[in-house]
Amino acid sequence: MTLLQTEQLTKQFGGLTAVDEVDMEIEQGEGVSLIGPNGAGKSTLINLVTRRLEPSYGDVSFKGESIVGMDPHEVVQQGMSKSFQTASVFPELSVKENATIAALAAEHGSFRVNFFRHRNSYPAVEELTNDVLRSVGLYGERETQADSLDYGNKRRLELGIALAAEPDMLLMDEPTAGMSPDETQSTVELIKRVKDELDLTFLLVEHDMEIVFDISDRIVVLNRGSVISTGTPEEVQNDPAVQEAYLGGVEE
Amino acid sequence: MSDEPRDATPAAASESGADVSDGFAARLSRFRERESSTVLITIVGVLVFPFIFNNLLNGYTQLATLMLIWGIFAVGFDILLGYTGLLSFGHAVFWGGAAYAAGIFSASVSSQPLLVLLAGTVFAVLLAWVVGFLSLRRGGIYFAILTLTFGQMAFYLAASPLAFLTNGENGFTSVTIAPLLGVIDLHGGVPFPLSIAVDNMLYVFVAVVTVLSVAMANRILHSPYGIVFRAIRENERRAEFVGLHVWRYKLMAFIISAAFAGIAGSLFAIEGNYVPLGSLYWTESGAIVIMTVLGGVGSLFGPLFGAGLYLYIENIVSGFETLGSFWHLILGIVFVVAVVVFPDGIWGGIEYLRDKVTGGDES
Repeated sequence: MTLLQTEQLTKQFGGLTAVDEVDMEIEQGEGVSLIGPNGAGKSTLINLVTRRLEPSYGDVSFKGESIVGMDPHEVVQQGMSKSFQTASVFPELSVKENATIAALAAEHGSFRVNFFRHRNSYPAVEELTNDVLRSVGLYGERETQADSLDYGNKRRLELGIALAAEPDMLLMDEPTAGMSPDETQSTVELIKRVKDELDLTFLLVEHDMEIVFDISDRIVVLNRGSVISTGTPEEVQNDPAVQEAYLGGVEE
Repeated sequence: MSDEPRDATPAAASESGADVSDGFAARLSRFRERESSTVLITIVGVLVFPFIFNNLLNGYTQLATLMLIWGIFAVGFDILLGYTGLLSFGHAVFWGGAAYAAGIFSASVSSQPLLVLLAGTVFAVLLAWVVGFLSLRRGGIYFAILTLTFGQMAFYLAASPLAFLTNGENGFTSVTIAPLLGVIDLHGGVPFPLSIAVDNMLYVFVAVVTVLSVAMANRILHSPYGIVFRAIRENERRAEFVGLHVWRYKLMAFIISAAFAGIAGSLFAIEGNYVPLGSLYWTESGAIVIMTVLGGVGSLFGPLFGAGLYLYIENIVSGFETLGSFWHLILGIVFVVAVVVFPDGIWGGIEYLRDKVTGGDES
């Protein structure tokens, strides 16, 4: 089943065409990476998909339904969650509360009028919160204030928040940016594990080619707003167009 | 690895024998977390307060009553300012609006105190729906200015175009309050067991409403609403991207805070038997901001203290012989000192001292 599909998706900023008639399809269960040189339009494409930007023209559909015109929270409620490029957490709340917020939205929808019961009386939310914290390895730190976590753990929490929204598809914008090699390694393991455990579909934007080749089923290469190549890691690696775009090839 | 058994033993022991081995600080913090404790503390507080206030602080019961009324207003305002992170500069419209609605209702529909209270509160809620719907289109300073504008519009509406209803600049003087439930005269004395603590039935009525209001606020803050409000304050965009309809929750916070303002405004009309036009003036919107910040934003009890201290300086300190005429200045100095020394207000200061004493490092 096709989960995410873009058709002729285009975004122009003034005279600059950041994303140029991109057609892309992502199947259920697929792990796809989006790569390309700086300024290729990767972030713009992600922002179009998550509804942070309005397309100039073209269409994005999720689960067969167009999401153009929806609010970001509606897209999340449809099952597409996003992990931010910077560690975007709720700094003064505890780790557990951070995950609870997403779990509440997942279990009870985007808004509920009758939400006055004591928060301890929502067992499904509690369970989902604890599951997510265990799977990102922060259960032991659930009472810690998010702000006082180190950077690597903050990124894990950020990923945990995105997972607690119970997504069918997860978009990750450079999940390992700014991490130490150890932190990067454990984050990659984490992504692989949750993909298997939850049968998660993901779209990843990443600069680090080692990570990309390690965790992707398929790679989409973007250059100057257009898709120049798509295929398995091996196919993409051997594509002359890709090597040219990267001036000297992907192997450093 | 070899450290694990050693570390695990005391942790396991303290979990199993929690009641025996825990320190005072831990027991105190568990007590504070219970909902019934909050209600109990509030009941004791409102019972003891007039005694201390009247005998030790030069106070009088009428002012104590007013302090609780403003306290209810501030507790609700803090849900918006402290917990959701939205600064409204026009809450006088709900305070004064509810006071007028309650007053007019008492004069022309029913003078039953409970119905009057309900009428004022419902009016404030409906008004907040409209004002919030329009003001929350914009964030930050624009939101503050929009609410201020609505407040001033209401003031001028009450001053002249609606003077046939509000009695214009003279204020609404025809408030009539019947005995509570047909038997209890609110402006009369109190029967024996209660008379040890207070001397006035109106205070008892306001105190009961205060306890209920604090219990309600406490419940809201411990419900999913509370956690979502704080999430919006901390990181609005992230809240949107976990799938929450942020705008609707903001409107809800606005309406909830206006409901508290409505309860307080209605009590204000009942207490004074009069609604001054000044209750809609923008300085009242400013006063509630100062009270809340002074008491401590983001705390349940802080705003009650802030309201009390503000009114104390305004009414008692202003009566002091030489200092009295400088009360505005004194209020300013107290505010600056409080904010500089304790950015979290009086309540933040109290918590700081408590943690020093108990050695607890929990929130």
